[in-house]
Amino acid sequence: MVENNEVELSEAEAEQYDRQIRLWGLESQKRLRASKVLIIGLSGLGAETAKNIILSGVKSVCLLDNEKLKEIDLYSQFLAPSDKIGENRAEASLQRAKALNPMVDITTETKSVDDLPDSFFTNFDIVCATGLKQEQLERINNICRDNNKKFLCGDVWGTFGYMFADLVDHEYSEEIVQHKAVKRGPDDTEKNARETVSITVKRRAIYVPLQNALSADWTKPELRSRLRRGDPSYFVMKILLRFRDEYNRNPDPAKRKADTEILLRMRDELVKELSLPVGFVSDALLTNVFGIVSGAAAVVGGVIAQEVVKAMSQREPPHNNMFFFNPIKCVGFVELYGQ
Amino acid sequence: MVARVAGVFDEKLTGAIANSKILVVGAGGIGCEILKNLVLTGFPQIEIIDLDTIDVSNLNRQFLFHKEHVGKSKAQVAKDSALSFNPHVNIVAHHDSVISNDYGVSYFKQFNIVMNALDNRVARNHVNRMCLAANVPLIETGTAGYAGQVELIKKGLTQCYECQPKAPQKTFPGCTIRNTPSEPIHCIVWAKHLFNQLFGEEDPDQDVSPDTADPEAAGNAGASALSSEGNAAGNIERKSTRTWAAETNYDPEKLFSKLFGDDIRYLLSMENLWKKRRPPTPLSWDNLPGKDDPPTQHSGLPDQRVWSVHECAQVFAASCIALQAELKGHPEGDHLVWDKDDKSAMDFVTACANIRAHIFNIPLKSRFEIKSMAGNIIPAIATANAIVAGLAVLRAQSILTGEIESCTSVYLRPKVNHRGQLFVPERTLTAPNPKCYVCAPKPEVALACNIKQLTLKDLTTAFKDGLNMQAPDATVEGKGLVVLSSEPGETDHNNHKTLEEIGLNDGCALLVDDFLQNYEVRVRLQQEDDEKSWRLVTDPNEPMPAPKDDKPANGANGSDEPKPGPSRSRDDSDSDMEIVEEDDGGEPIVKPPKRRRTEMSDEIVELC
Repeated sequence: MVENNEVELSEAEAEQYDRQIRLWGLESQKRLRASKVLIIGLSGLGAETAKNIILSGVKSVCLLDNEKLKEIDLYSQFLAPSDKIGENRAEASLQRAKALNPMVDITTETKSVDDLPDSFFTNFDIVCATGLKQEQLERINNICRDNNKKFLCGDVWGTFGYMFADLVDHEYSEEIVQHKAVKRGPDDTEKNARETVSITVKRRAIYVPLQNALSADWTKPELRSRLRRGDPSYFVMKILLRFRDEYNRNPDPAKRKADTEILLRMRDELVKELSLPVGFVSDALLTNVFGIVSGAAAVVGGVIAQEVVKAMSQREPPHNNMFFFNPIKCVGFVELYGQ
Repeated sequence: MVARVAGVFDEKLTGAIANSKILVVGAGGIGCEILKNLVLTGFPQIEIIDLDTIDVSNLNRQFLFHKEHVGKSKAQVAKDSALSFNPHVNIVAHHDSVISNDYGVSYFKQFNIVMNALDNRVARNHVNRMCLAANVPLIETGTAGYAGQVELIKKGLTQCYECQPKAPQKTFPGCTIRNTPSEPIHCIVWAKHLFNQLFGEEDPDQDVSPDTADPEAAGNAGASALSSEGNAAGNIERKSTRTWAAETNYDPEKLFSKLFGDDIRYLLSMENLWKKRRPPTPLSWDNLPGKDDPPTQHSGLPDQRVWSVHECAQVFAASCIALQAELKGHPEGDHLVWDKDDKSAMDFVTACANIRAHIFNIPLKSRFEIKSMAGNIIPAIATANAIVAGLAVLRAQSILTGEIESCTSVYLRPKVNHRGQLFVPERTLTAPNPKCYVCAPKPEVALACNIKQLTLKDLTTAFKDGLNMQAPDATVEGKGLVVLSSEPGETDHNNHKTLEEIGLNDGCALLVDDFLQNYEVRVRLQQEDDEKSWRLVTDPNEPMPAPKDDKPANGANGSDEPKPGPSRSRDDSDSDMEIVEEDDGGEPIVKPPKRRRTEMSDEIVELC
């Protein structure tokens, strides 16, 4: 749980964060200012997420990445300048990340997550991971769970994206606006002024770990009934995570045709495995999953960062537990898996 | 030179982007994000227009700007920052208002898509018309707090920005402001008017003295003693507040005694007003509540502490002196312009609003809260802007590949709806309103007014404020008689003549056009004896809302902020809000989705 920082905001902070303090209140801003965030994977999605979180005014952000900056990153990764191709992605992003908000402490870590001890991840209040394999994600998620730290992960492939959240046992406050008539003056009977009164309600949300969400049992009737809603995004995510696990990479634009064929084959296998209706996961969703398209990275990075803000400020209901962006329909929705 | 890496997009989209030219209007929260997405995606030709300069309060979301850029041109800095992401694209930046002769229909025609990232209705209306005239698809965006929306506007295919009548601006009767305030906002409006009376542009509609023409006070015995002072309009013939203040050399104590003592005593003499209301309590400078109170413990921002009346009086005095000094520094006849970010101006309004609130037994507010209300501040965050801009650029990509029919409006909701949706696309494009006075093939509207009283000057105002024209020309249909000319001086001599005096009558039609907007509308005059001002009527069964549209808070084109998405209506916001009742995509819809817009911006004072 993030400790509430009792130190008042400086005038500079109040000025810079004015427009958001007016939305989420001073308490939230103070909680944000005490939050330590780890961002794993400085792809375009990582950069978008980092940007929004740094702008919000957290205490610190650590950028973790062991990969080198590639040309394809430049389609969406605006933190790393193009002349740093070949350098470490986190380090290449440091200067611009710092410039976004000098009041946030920004550091980098260039080791692979596999080479970092469990204790590394527990230095943070929340971890946002992108670009990792399922096994790596589950390891970090479990470390976070065991230490009551928040965990988020997500990816964008082409224009498609998802997010998963495990906030463990999360307490938050929600503001509910009520209207009530008020009387002014002794005989003020007609046309009473209406005042809005906002009351704050404490709530709690319980989350499940990633492995539960990713192994949702589609034979169960409650999940089967979801198929009627007709959105195949969960399966698209499954296919793309499988592709990454199996080939140790993301679909490659240079192998657009071959990789599309692989993806469609993997789709057919999954459809069989989970006895999904034929044609449920359309080709269209699996043919534009190359690279990271800037617009989609902005959308999913915006959602992830907003969930970090909600989780850290303990204000407003966070999404439980998966968000999908289906670019074909331009719909973004939240569903609970694995309970 | 678009695709840096082949295969990210299919060939069709790659080619379409390579040959595209995009205009982004506004380099604020959404504009910065749109520009970033366009540049990274490799859109090769981009122009961006914004008249604003960078403020510290922008930095929590307008990420192309840093502290060292404060005070500089948004358009220029946005261009420079964005070019560092991809130096291979061509960006033209205009530090300018989009409402200008320089950006005519032929200018708009050169673009494949125009993307709006504006914060005010006036500029949105204008760009809407330019895109209709140029027949260029317009992607209209907006956010307010957590909510936002992206909407396509295309001539003949979708409704335009002006197809749905906007809900009236929030208005307050002048007598409520001047005589019987009952809510903090009434006192804040009064305090802003007082600022203008003392230091700003004097506006007769913003009188702050007691209004003796208040119908409620009619036949009032208490006022009769003073009636000898009254003029025909019922107002007391006095010196203007400004003249009087100048003669006292803006002596804070004397100003205070008049505004919060004498004027209140005068109001008390209008006894009818207080039969059913709690009467106000006049204050005297020497004996103010809170004078001897110990300083209260306060946690929170200094601005969030509510001042005592005594403190308000101190701030009132200090800000009066500071503002007077500032006014003296201006050339003779010039005036100050109220700005929420100017310390003295904001202090003055906070102090005056609270002192008046105390007098009328209305809860006092902190400077922080009053700033929101007086400055129409719409909360804004990075994430909502990023999401809306991301969706907007994805929609632009679809338009370029010929999938314009699929580009329905998308709403970003503050919380998921009952179907778990956070971004909610509409199922179909919304067809144009055939009665729209802007995008209909032959636009037509009725102007309800009293032809015997409405002057030509008022008519110009009706065309500018009601029909959102910039430089209207009007001729009488069938006669060709020029009633109004946008050429300076041509028809000015008629300004004070009534419509009747220049030969117009009930049912006669004017052809009104704006050359700049390439927009012509037929306006039928409709005589209404009771109409005090004027009113636009598109459909006899569905009258248009209130006529007046106030000036945008932050200039004519600017940053992000709204005309935002479907969310609960918020009584505490003065933002442009759009509330959309979404259709439930899961069920077959029987009727077309209902839409209603309730937009609000600056407060307006109605005539009583």
